[in-house]
This record gives sequence, structure tokens and C-alpha cells, in this order.
Amino acid sequence: MTAKSMTRAAFFVLTALADQPRHGYGILREVEELSDGEVLLRVGTLYGVLDRLTADGLIVLDREEVQQGRLRRYYRLTDDGVATLDAEAERMAAGAGAAKRRIAEGRAAHPAPRTSPGHVPPAAPGLAGGHA
Amino acid sequence: MTTLLETRYRAVLRLLPASYRREREEEMVETYLGDLDRDTQDQSRPTLAEVASVAALALRTRLGGPGAPFRYALLGSAARHFALCAVLVQAAAALVDRVLEVTWSFTRGASERRLFLGGFTDRGPSLTVIAVLDWVLPLLWTVAYFALVHDRRRLARAAALGAALPSLWPLLGPLVSDRVPPYPAYATTGALLAWVSALTLCAAQHRDAPPARLPVGSPGRLYLAGCVVMGASVVLMRGVPDTVWAPATGFAVGALGWLLWQARRADPTPPGAALALAALGLLILAVRIAALVPWLGVPEAGVLVVGGLGQTAVLAVLVAALAMVGGRELTRHRDG
Repeated sequence: MTAKSMTRAAFFVLTALADQPRHGYGILREVEELSDGEVLLRVGTLYGVLDRLTADGLIVLDREEVQQGRLRRYYRLTDDGVATLDAEAERMAAGAGAAKRRIAEGRAAHPAPRTSPGHVPPAAPGLAGGHA
Repeated sequence: MTTLLETRYRAVLRLLPASYRREREEEMVETYLGDLDRDTQDQSRPTLAEVASVAALALRTRLGGPGAPFRYALLGSAARHFALCAVLVQAAAALVDRVLEVTWSFTRGASERRLFLGGFTDRGPSLTVIAVLDWVLPLLWTVAYFALVHDRRRLARAAALGAALPSLWPLLGPLVSDRVPPYPAYATTGALLAWVSALTLCAAQHRDAPPARLPVGSPGRLYLAGCVVMGASVVLMRGVPDTVWAPATGFAVGALGWLLWQARRADPTPPGAALALAALGLLILAVRIAALVPWLGVPEAGVLVVGGLGQTAVLAVLVAALAMVGGRELTRHRDG
């Protein structure tokens, strides 16, 4: 998977695995927390992403555990996974930096007009129908 | 003890292929139940969003997702070949049909021109809009084709769905007016061809699928060749062609060329390609027959009927040959 084609879900799943191996439910919760609740992965979606990341060699199975009779599989990033996530994070940071620079340049070139204290911008039609 | 929610979720997971379930079911159940309160699990059921996510995963897995077993990889490959060929045939047919119609209407005098323009303007504002969309939207097959071969999947999917829309109008007409489609079998098979093509494209060109690849030639040349063959078949065979003549001829020439090309090649055919062409041929054959049936009892339509019957026979032979090659290819890939 190239950094350019990475989905938001894949980015957050890789990010969730960046510090330690996690199992499916742990990844779901971590993604929700990392994205401030904006990315809520469903289980079917999560396993689609995990299949794709595994096929691309970005994550591997770390270990299996049985908890209360149920199977937990823990996944971790591969070296390629770390490099891809790093590249994607760099790309996003560069994009965000460029946007901030442009906004600052725009503000410097066209400063917002000052309004005198007590001046209220016209909001209603004037007596002749136009704005006062 | 298994809770009702777990039983229900396992029932949803039955949408997934058995091989996938063997590998993932226990893990997915564990992930789904997570830290849900066990006491409430008998009062709840999987949400629609959860069911939809499993259904989408099931579809992707069956159509050759990452690590799919041979059977599903083959199905995915066949579906992608089918979608590509079906979109190409309909793209070339729509363009040729419109170019010939405009050329004819604007080079045969004022009455022909008025007749053509009257088809759009003589029926009131709302029907004019429908007539214009009916004429323009099928050109989106061309957009879908070039988007597909350049791996712009979203655009390809949207364009194919837009292009297929007009095929529904003859069928939806009776629901909103007294108008009954003059040839219901033709309208139904035509809609079937368009929608099976568009929906197969949407399902088969999922995110994890490999990009669409043409078996031979460049996308532009193949499209141009299709247009030339279809256009020539209409221009050279005056009196014979009806609306199905051009796409059916284009498909027949293309499928025959593909069979001959494959026979001369030492490499094995791409998995599912012959079966995909056979399936497309079968759909075109159905449209061919449905378009021909109303003319069978009309004495003045002798040439058209003879041409149509000949084309039907050619298509039937090609479909049988493609199915045979597809069956052999299936055995070879399974054994190999």
C-alpha cells in the first residue's frame, strides 16, 4: 500500500498498533480514542482493513491468547508498517504545515478590516430598501 | 453459556465464506462482544451498521479479496473481466448509435432533422428532460470504461450507475403513468444487461481488487476498434440492423478474435476470462432474442428477421465455445 492510497481507517489502525501489539477489540477502542470518536470502525470493516494490511505486509500476527474461552489475536506493525506509517504521518504533517503557512500568508496580505467600537455592520434593509 | 447476542452475531457471520469463518469467526465474535455487559446481551441484536460491514466484507472476500482461496479469486477475476468487457461493449454501442443517429438526422434534409429534434421537444418540459437524459446518460459508459482502465474506481462506478439509469425508465413508466413499454421482454433484458454490468463493476472493483486490465491492446485502440466494427456493421448492412445489431456484432467479433488469439497463445488464459465472456454473451443473446421476437410475424421485416436469426445463431455458438473454453480453463487452474 502506498502512503498516497492509505484510507483513514488504515491510518488509524496502523497508528493504534504503533506503540504495542493489540487485539481486535483493543484496536477498535484505540482507533476511537485516537480519532476523538470520529472514526468508529465496525468489526467487518476492521477485519477488511486487517486483511489488507496483512496482505501488504504492514502488520503481522504477534501472538494468540484464549480469554474466557474466546480467541484473541494480537497484531503488531512490521518494519514496513512502521516505515509506511511514518511516511504517511510526514506527508500529512507537511500538508498541514503548508495549509497553515498559506493561511498566515493570506492573513498578512489581506488583514481583516478594523471596525470602530460601537459600529454595527448593516444587517437589515435601510429605509429606501437598500442597506443603510 | 452463549448469549442471544452472540448467537445472532454468529448468524450474521454466516454471510462470510466458510473458509473465512473457519479462520476468523472466533476472533470476530471476541472483538464484537468486547467488553459488552453480559447481562444485556440477551436483549440486544447486531446493529444494521454491523450487519452491513459484515455483508461488505463477505462480498469482498467472495470477489477475490486479499488471501482469498482459489474459488473466490477466480470468481473475482471473472467478475472484473465481465464488468470490463460489458462496459466496453455498451460504451462503444452508445457512442456509435448516437453518432449515426445525429449524422443521419442532419444529412437527410429538414424533415429528418425535425423528426430527431421533435423527439426531444414535442412532448412537454418534463418528458423533454427525460428524453435528453435518455439520450445523453448512456454516453457515461464511455466515461466508466476509461475511468476503469485508468483505475479511477469511484468515477467508474458512478458513471456506470448513471449510464444504466435510462434502461429503467421503460420499466418504471407504467408505475407513474398509463404508458406500458411496447416490448416488455426487450426492455427487461436490456435493463438486465445494463444493471448486471453496472452492479458487477461496483462489486468487483472494490478497493482491494487488482486494477482492471485489458487482455490485449491499449484502451483507446480497443474502444476505437469496437466503434469502427459496430459502426461499419450498421452502415454496411442496411435494412438488417435493429438496436441490438451493433453491440451484438461488436461482441461477436471481439469474442471470436479473443478465442482465435487464445488458441494461438502458449500462455494460459487469465482465470475466469472465458467464463466472463460467456456470461456476457448469454446476456447479449437474451437481448438479441427479445428484440427479435416482436418482428417474427411481420411480413415486411423479412431481412431484419433473417439477419437477427443469423446473429442469434452466431452468438449461441460463441457462448457455447466460450463456456467450453471456460470449463477447461477452470479445470486447468484447479489442478494446477
